[in-house]
Amino acid sequence: MNDLEPVDALDIELRVNGSAVRRRVPVRRLLSDLLRDDLSLTGTHVGCEHGVCGACTVLLDGQPIRSCLQLAVTADGCEVTTVEGITPADGSLSPLQAAFRDAHGLQCGFCTPGFLMTLVAADPAEHPTDGSIDALLSGNLCRCTGYQNIRTAVRRAWGRDDEGNASAGSDTPLGSGTSSGSGAS
Amino acid sequence: MSGGAATAGLVADPRPRREDPRLLTGQGSYVADVRLPGMLEAAFVRSPLAHARIRAVDTDAARAAPGVIAVLTGADLSDVEPFPDLRERTRPVRQRALCIDRVRYVGAPLAVVVAEDRYLAEDAAELVDADLEELPVVADMDAALAPGAPLLYDDWPDDRIVATAPVDPELDAIFETHQVVRGTYRMQRHTAMPMETRGVVATVERGRLLVWTSTQVPHVVRTVIARTLGLPEHRIRVVAGDVGGGFGSKLHVYPEEVVIPALAWRLRRPVRWIEDRREHFLASSHARHQRHDLEAAVDERGDIVAVRGDLVCDVGSGEILPPGVAPAFVSAGSITGPYRFPRSQARLTCVVTNKTPSGAYRGFGTPEIVFALERLLERVARETGQDPVELRRRHLIRPEDLPYETPNGRRIDSGSHLEAFERAVAWAETTRERLAPTARGSIGVGYANYIEGVSPNYHATSGLWAQQETSTLRIEPDGTVVVASGLGPMGQGTETMLATLASQLLGVPHDQVEVRLGDTDLSPYGLGSFGSRSTVVAAGAVQLAAGRLLDKVRTIAGHLLEASATDIELVDGRARVVGSPDRSVGLAEVAHLAYFRTFDLPPGTEPGLEATGAYEQPGVDHRPNAQGKLNICLTYANSTHACVVDVDRATGVVRLLAHLAVHDAGLLLNPQVVDGQIMGGVAQGIGGALYEQLLHDADGQPLVTSFMDYLVPGAPEVPELTIDHLSTPSTTTPFGLKGAGEAGATGVPAAIANAVCDALRDTGIDITQTPITPSSIRAALRATPDPTTTEGS
Ligand code: FES
Ligand code: FES
Repeated sequence: MNDLEPVDALDIELRVNGSAVRRRVPVRRLLSDLLRDDLSLTGTHVGCEHGVCGACTVLLDGQPIRSCLQLAVTADGCEVTTVEGITPADGSLSPLQAAFRDAHGLQCGFCTPGFLMTLVAADPAEHPTDGSIDALLSGNLCRCTGYQNIRTAVRRAWGRDDEGNASAGSDTPLGSGTSSGSGAS
Repeated sequence: MSGGAATAGLVADPRPRREDPRLLTGQGSYVADVRLPGMLEAAFVRSPLAHARIRAVDTDAARAAPGVIAVLTGADLSDVEPFPDLRERTRPVRQRALCIDRVRYVGAPLAVVVAEDRYLAEDAAELVDADLEELPVVADMDAALAPGAPLLYDDWPDDRIVATAPVDPELDAIFETHQVVRGTYRMQRHTAMPMETRGVVATVERGRLLVWTSTQVPHVVRTVIARTLGLPEHRIRVVAGDVGGGFGSKLHVYPEEVVIPALAWRLRRPVRWIEDRREHFLASSHARHQRHDLEAAVDERGDIVAVRGDLVCDVGSGEILPPGVAPAFVSAGSITGPYRFPRSQARLTCVVTNKTPSGAYRGFGTPEIVFALERLLERVARETGQDPVELRRRHLIRPEDLPYETPNGRRIDSGSHLEAFERAVAWAETTRERLAPTARGSIGVGYANYIEGVSPNYHATSGLWAQQETSTLRIEPDGTVVVASGLGPMGQGTETMLATLASQLLGVPHDQVEVRLGDTDLSPYGLGSFGSRSTVVAAGAVQLAAGRLLDKVRTIAGHLLEASATDIELVDGRARVVGSPDRSVGLAEVAHLAYFRTFDLPPGTEPGLEATGAYEQPGVDHRPNAQGKLNICLTYANSTHACVVDVDRATGVVRLLAHLAVHDAGLLLNPQVVDGQIMGGVAQGIGGALYEQLLHDADGQPLVTSFMDYLVPGAPEVPELTIDHLSTPSTTTPFGLKGAGEAGATGVPAAIANAVCDALRDTGIDITQTPITPSSIRAALRATPDPTTTEGS
């Protein structure tokens, strides 16, 4: 385009969760708003609009990005994947989602889609220790879980046992991480 | 009450939560997900000044802006009644939904713009021109307490919203005749900060107001909307949907929950407002801002014979419902913790300042007093030459002391106070051994013992609602079951919990139970979720309803099976004759009779299968007695936290190496969920102890309005927590249950502070305030010079 006049809206074409989307979009519209309000993909949540909390994380051409910091028009020609797009078509849970459920890795669930999107894009081999899992998760805030069960879910989803990293990660804070019950006194 | 449900117990049911599949697949329904045809969006214009008189608010330019449908100011909403001031012994603030002649904090709502979309609404909001006459700012509690302080409320004599002045000459005499150890302890302003901000959507549907809001108390919101807008309650429906965390901040009813419905009502169009994070920092409740001057009177054996305190709480502008003074009353009432101090006294002053109103946050006043008391105990130990572990051990409530009434009237029915502490000490000693300090670091161990009130009578707090909770159980014609409750879940698995209760107390499979929650049209009036009450009060209500419903099932099944009703039991969805399980009918057959073949019902039996149980907690006070004693909660869970920290002596950086929570919540209905509550609470406690701080400058301007400055702990900041459960049933609650929602957060600041001081014990450092930041540690180390310490940079 050689037209340098400012425009209010642009026509864009992108693929969202595998489907083609064509829209005329105001140039200042955020990708998060396009997804949530225009496409009704409300699984992507907005927790801060400052790029800090990670709740709005989606994949743009396979890379996790903050959809609250990205203008929708800049996704023109891209492939966007949201939490709806990583859910099996029959509505069941993917192994990662099931691991979150089984490990009680979510409470209110508001942060959860962001964590899931960060994790689906990650290579487990690059995160061999609990400490490196923490580093991976450090861009996503959760106010409910204290992260411990999220860590457990990640280990399980990545085929590690619950204790597996206790010896491997020297940068890992110690503590058994287990819960023991005693009978009624 | 007759029936098997009355005698049946509950058993732990550690199943995954039924909420999870929808939340994991993006199918949850939070308030921001509500989208209605023709929906408009609102943006609020908020005060840029901390204290000012409103001369005029010019909305002309905003009204003329593109896409704008309406702009309203406080004057335009003058027919909306002020929020009711209901709490006794608390000066009235007459809070307005939109401010009319005065603003008392940065962020106070001045006007609201409604436009075609949020972008246009925010554009127009910038064009609203408020003519404000600046008033002198009361920036902090000392300024508020100073004689001649500027007044926030012109008809008050000073800035004290609450002031108690207990008199006890005998106690004074004790302090005159004993060694007295004293300290001043401060907790900083910080707050709940759920990941989901607040939000409200309202529309008018067939002549009724339909309101979605992110709240812990849907029915209470309905009552407040009715009172402020002058509408009958039956014309209002409030729906909470999925709530993305609350932790107390969403038990308040906020101005936007009145303004957005008022707009929808006037415009007859759907209106949505979703708080942004910056607004959340300004307009949602703050918490925990307290200063405690504590004193302990110690006898010649080193025993503490009395504690007393002068507690001051900075509640911000005070414009919040219920008032933000309530947590400070809990601090005052918890001054003895789980210790057998024979006498106590707490004088409480709550002051208003030109800051965001403060209110509830997980722990509700307890973390503040636990921090102060546990630090004071360390000082007592030091000044009297005692081992702090031994000092605690000697004063903790022992099994033989139970039931025990504290000097403030808390009636502690049960618990494992001493055992919990002993377990923590054993853990800490072995854990300390196996952890190595970092190169410049030192290792320290810290403890905190406390009790956490469970299921409060909220009347003394709110002046309105108290403690009832109601559930309705219905068996549908096909034998499936619906349980409806007015609780307001915010992520604690309440839906699963209610299904578990109904399933176990009725005797039907879990997946045969459907749960209706968070919708005032679908459930009986309930008070919502707060104060670690949900499981306890729900169990009480479901138990009553199930007993009534079972009576009817038995009558009908007995009729069908030609057996006596008293011989029928309901097991796994089948009604059968006790002792001859082959004689049975399915619940569907019973229901078929109750709804369809009603002519076959036994004589005198009403058709239908539905029962409601309303549970009112026994033995809990709704106001203090003549001596000022108040048993505010149904029971008190006990907990001990211990942690091991490493403190870098050069940088002052604290690393939490290991943390233990010994927790006694009685029967754990869903142990995994209880663990999750504790873990989440501990993470919030870590935030409050080390990182989170809502700072203001001398003009009352907030300095922290984003997650860039407000440091919510991330995964690297939260170590693996060790949880050790004790299980002492309560003698006062249904099934001996105790709540677990809040306790995780409470002991953390005290335990970490004690551990840091232990790590640096050679320096004599004595931490008296949170957050414990690296610079505060370096400053303290400089103040207590030690030759081995490198001066920090
Ligand atoms: S909403 Fe995008 S990072 Fe918080
Ligand atoms: S589950 Fe609520 S914020 Fe993470």
